[in-house]
Amino acid sequence: MKVVTGVVGNDIHVVANRLIDISLQARGFEVFNLGVNTSLEEFIDAVVETDADILLISSLNGEAEGWCRDLQFLRSEYDLKEVIFVIGGNLAVGEAAQSDIIPKYKSYGFDLVFHQIDLNTGLDEIERFVKEKA
Amino acid sequence: MSLLQKERDVITRNEYADSFDFDEIEDFIRNANKEMFISHHFKKRDRILVQPRGGFPTYKKMFELYEEFMKADIDVLPLTIDSNTRLNDYAMAKKMLTLSEENEMDMLNGYPLVNHGYRTTRKMMTHFNKPVSLRHGTPDARLLVETALASGIFEIEGGPITYMLPYSKNFPLDKAFLYWKYVDKVCALYSTLNEPINRESFGPLTATLVPPCIVIVIQLIEMLLSIEEGVKSFSVSFSQNGSMMQDIVTSHVLKKLAREYADMLGGEDAIINLVYHQWMGAFPRDKNLSDSLINTNTVIAAMVRADKIIIKTRDEAFGIPTMQCNAQSVANTKYTLRTLKGLPEVHDAEEEENLELEVRAIMDAVFNDPADTLWRKVFNTIKNGLIDVPFSPHIINHNEVITIRDDSGNIRIIEKGKLPLPDRCFAYEKSKVNLPESKTEVITKIIHDIGAML
Repeated sequence: MKVVTGVVGNDIHVVANRLIDISLQARGFEVFNLGVNTSLEEFIDAVVETDADILLISSLNGEAEGWCRDLQFLRSEYDLKEVIFVIGGNLAVGEAAQSDIIPKYKSYGFDLVFHQIDLNTGLDEIERFVKEKA
Repeated sequence: MSLLQKERDVITRNEYADSFDFDEIEDFIRNANKEMFISHHFKKRDRILVQPRGGFPTYKKMFELYEEFMKADIDVLPLTIDSNTRLNDYAMAKKMLTLSEENEMDMLNGYPLVNHGYRTTRKMMTHFNKPVSLRHGTPDARLLVETALASGIFEIEGGPITYMLPYSKNFPLDKAFLYWKYVDKVCALYSTLNEPINRESFGPLTATLVPPCIVIVIQLIEMLLSIEEGVKSFSVSFSQNGSMMQDIVTSHVLKKLAREYADMLGGEDAIINLVYHQWMGAFPRDKNLSDSLINTNTVIAAMVRADKIIIKTRDEAFGIPTMQCNAQSVANTKYTLRTLKGLPEVHDAEEEENLELEVRAIMDAVFNDPADTLWRKVFNTIKNGLIDVPFSPHIINHNEVITIRDDSGNIRIIEKGKLPLPDRCFAYEKSKVNLPESKTEVITKIIHDIGAML
């Protein structure tokens, strides 16, 4: 399966991005890592170009929300209904409850949302989601 | 007029900078007090120089910080530059400086040197009459360095690789080589007037499980690029990596090969110094534990016979330290160094041999690149992945090398990517680690190894 991943927005936190990359590879995914400081449009372009199955966006500085509001729009523009959209990391600036954040990001068009969740737990969830969908 | 001088005229003619009077600047440097040159202090080799980090936006607060440091009997004053200046955004730096001055609140994370200008800043530098080190992270530091040298700041940190691969995603690396060539040329030019200007490389890189062979190779390359332009005093550096033995081995190999390569490429008359950085990774949130970590680092700096130590503070996990906290850290480090006596000379022949072979193999790959100049050879070597810095955000970096700690805390290479390591060296690295069975556990261990000091 093909996964496009990267860190959204003006966010240079590269360590987690690299760990996601090698973790996905270890689980047998084909990874297209766009690295840090990536805009939503670049992610969508890469999904189209690579014909990816999953888009996994990460964010550490908490600014992801501002960058991901247009996802629904872009998703419909490109007819990307089969692609699984995932976002994870630290999804709010400052303190925030899971119960607030998860529905909010789902309404933006994400299938799976992980706020301050351990990396391997998140990746297990993705694998389960893929299996159930198939 | 030389091509360099033409370029200098273009670079320094900037609406946010002082108008440069090069004749006056030369006179100033020619007659500057030798105490202001760190290279003058290095020559004495009588102690480890202690240097903190630090920079505030306003002249007034910068002055107060230096006063605090002087009370702690500091050896080298730092001048850390704000992030707007690092990105050449002098307009934003000016705006934020004005706001900082009007509101007595720091709106910048460092001193906007270009906006303050050299005529103003020089007053502070000559007042304290101490060596000052420019700390920044700027890919295009041409105007910044011109301003620093004219201000009386005679140590310039940075380089085309070490200020690029850890900090930037897509600033063009070839441009960085040329911009730093300019910096080295200007440093060399001024070095003929008085004591030499010291250039320092930034060895910690990403400070995230970087193997010693990569650190050493990049230190040697930046040293050679500077020497090529005529720099006569150069500091190679590295940071605590988590194993005292590996730090000591790194220091022996780095010192030996720096001298050897410098001599080989026409730098016989260059002075080479060793700088040790206290732990550059994530710090504990308990300030007492941070004090303990800092103290351990100071002991290791003494064990590796560093010429200078760059220190951290107990506030590291929380952001920019207060002046008092920063000065206290200077005093503590100086105390530890003063009380450490009778340090043993430690060697590990097997480890040193292995590391030396690795470094030589990568250096051979650099020199064997068919390009016509050293910087182009280095550029190609990085582009081809023969030099690969773990956890670099830069698009040119291959990110194929994977490292992990062995049971003694040494960083070992388990995936070598395209690094041209000899087979026996790579076999040696791998033989030291007991990898967990599952790949998921390996990654969990890597995460743990990155946060070794938490």
